[in-house]
Amino acid sequence: MKKPIQRSAYILVAIVTLAFVAFPLLVDTEESYLVYFFFMCFIYVALAQGWNLVAGYAGQASFGQHAFFGLGAYITAITWKAGWTDFLDPVAMTLSGAGAALLAVVVGVALLAKLRGDYFALGTLGLGEILRVVFTQGGTLTGGPVGLLLPSSSYQSLGPYYFIALTIALFTFLFVWLLMRSRVGLALVAIREDEQAAASNGIHVLKFKILAFAAGAFFSGMCGSIYGYFLFHIHPLGFFSLNWALLPVLMTVLGGIGTLFGPVLGAFVLAGVFELANLYIPEIHPMFSGLFVILVMLFLPQGMMSLGGKGVLARLFPFILGLSNQRERR
Amino acid sequence: MKRRISYKKVFWLGFVLLLALCFGLSGAAHAKTEKKADKKEILIGTNLPLTGILSMVGIEQRWAYETAVADINKAGGVMVKEFGKKLPVKLIVGDDESDPGKAAAAVERLIKVNKVDMLLGGFAAPFGVIPGCITAEKYKKYYHTSICLIPPWLEHKFQWSTVFFFDLDQACSVPYEMWAKLPANQKIQKPALIMEDSFDGRAFAGIFRKLAEKYGYKFVMDEPWAVGAKDYSAQIIKAKSLGVDAILIFGADADCITFVRQMKENDFSVKYMHGWKGTWAGEFWQALGKDAQYILLDGFWSMDFPFPGAKELGERYYQKFKKYSVSVGALYALCQILWQGIEKAGTLDPGKVRQAVLDNEFQTMMGKVKYDKNGVAIFVSTGSQWWDGKQMTVYPFELTTYKMKLAPPWKER
Repeated sequence: MKKPIQRSAYILVAIVTLAFVAFPLLVDTEESYLVYFFFMCFIYVALAQGWNLVAGYAGQASFGQHAFFGLGAYITAITWKAGWTDFLDPVAMTLSGAGAALLAVVVGVALLAKLRGDYFALGTLGLGEILRVVFTQGGTLTGGPVGLLLPSSSYQSLGPYYFIALTIALFTFLFVWLLMRSRVGLALVAIREDEQAAASNGIHVLKFKILAFAAGAFFSGMCGSIYGYFLFHIHPLGFFSLNWALLPVLMTVLGGIGTLFGPVLGAFVLAGVFELANLYIPEIHPMFSGLFVILVMLFLPQGMMSLGGKGVLARLFPFILGLSNQRERR
Repeated sequence: MKRRISYKKVFWLGFVLLLALCFGLSGAAHAKTEKKADKKEILIGTNLPLTGILSMVGIEQRWAYETAVADINKAGGVMVKEFGKKLPVKLIVGDDESDPGKAAAAVERLIKVNKVDMLLGGFAAPFGVIPGCITAEKYKKYYHTSICLIPPWLEHKFQWSTVFFFDLDQACSVPYEMWAKLPANQKIQKPALIMEDSFDGRAFAGIFRKLAEKYGYKFVMDEPWAVGAKDYSAQIIKAKSLGVDAILIFGADADCITFVRQMKENDFSVKYMHGWKGTWAGEFWQALGKDAQYILLDGFWSMDFPFPGAKELGERYYQKFKKYSVSVGALYALCQILWQGIEKAGTLDPGKVRQAVLDNEFQTMMGKVKYDKNGVAIFVSTGSQWWDGKQMTVYPFELTTYKMKLAPPWKER
């Protein structure tokens, strides 16, 4: 029989999902700014959850998510322009994720076998920069520094974008949830805690690290794809921007690294703070947003989920903590 | 005794922030939805680079828009027949952070939260204008813009925006026209082309090469340069060794400033140096001082233009910033067109205002302006030379009496 705490968690996830599904049906998607805001939040959730899997659960901090994000966007744009895929085509989005995952496997074999810790993080940071230059010099295939212009007349409504991004976010959430409940998840946590001990217990360390890295890249590639469809202009400066690597890190750390709900909470809170700052104090919003991040890091270095340990969150949402603290109970 | 941190307070702060977001966004949106009869002002939104790498150039654009709004409000506002009265204009500025994604977000915010009636354009095709046009297109809002190269804008076949800018071929022909006026013993022999490796840089480079053939020149050095690179000594030494006597350069302000400083450090001077994008702002002179002397720049406008209000606007800008501008007049004119377009349409319906802009001719600080059926209006790109802190107009020839000077070596300046 399921524990009450788990049942509550399932109910919570179902209620939140239903609320998000119902929301755009209750408002005018072309009028409501919240639809756009949630669309961006879903992208951030998927990106942050992807990074959380690699860094939070597998213990391999990567700063190369922007490489996979940009690659995903370019795969979508190139296949669409070539006529192989269509507007908001699931095949293109899957290909974008798969392409990013494939790159992660190729790069991961080289990097993860040799580097760990800070060195691995710096290595992945270089990957994004390399791809930016490659795509800037990519000639007609990538459009060079101009990038690829997509037919913006295809846009009909924000609704489909919202639901696709929600699906991607849910998919990443469920994927990480199920993965961490499986033997693979156990192996990843073992690797994070002590690689040598994990290896001596028969865990193929490199294989599992690459698996996590590729899964994180897959999510980033899909996010790049849907965002590319949204902007209709894919270019190296915007899509290989370091923001796409740093924001997921910030959101995950803010919410709570190595927890299932941390990236979700972090993505919504940080995006919300940035949004409000941009709306009400447009000229100095980076200062305010930066100050907010500093304060959180000062007072909540373990992220917002750590509030649970102090009793407040635990009393309010015990079921959330039941899920997020699964790794500790293991 | 060490004080304990109140985690409870921190948590509630976050919680309240989230709630504030939902109420803030939806509240702001609803508050700004006015009924026709209650319409008290015309809301104009614009996405400008208030932060990020383009923030320097965004300052002039903002000033021009704000001044045009202040002036029209001083005159009582814009007459809108639909409401039977003059309505004041309110400008709402969103920060696009010099980033295309953020530009799209800023325009989303302006349309959905601020509920603007229409929009004035941002800065530069890839960073602010094209993402702004695409977003405005999605929600059928009129995006009235300038500072965007016309070919990439035309590629999108926009139905809800218009563009007022120079023709690239004309802008790139300015240095060749200048060289044609030089005496025989001072003709340019070995020009170099150094263009930023970017969206706009590549577009300029292609036209410069095409026109070089037409005018009978051959670039002895033709290299792209990376945005934000800090060391250009390799390119400078190469140019020096090739005996380059003229440089056409396209790049950001900071990059152009660094390039000129390193030219001086390497004791390399050319008699003709002409910059696009990065040499026209007052900050270029402020950073380089007399080292900027003789350098030519592109521009959109001059306070010496014989059009009503041009001189006064230039003086007002100087009073405010203690420097001159070659752009504010064009951006002020953009606003003048919009005000007149609204009056001619007699409504704030974005489609009808755009149609009125397409159908009519406008009297502005840039002279007469007429858009074509695609929504494009062209103005002449000017050429100026830095002289004692002022951009002295050297092109079009018929609008100036100032004669361009060739630069002597550094030690003789």
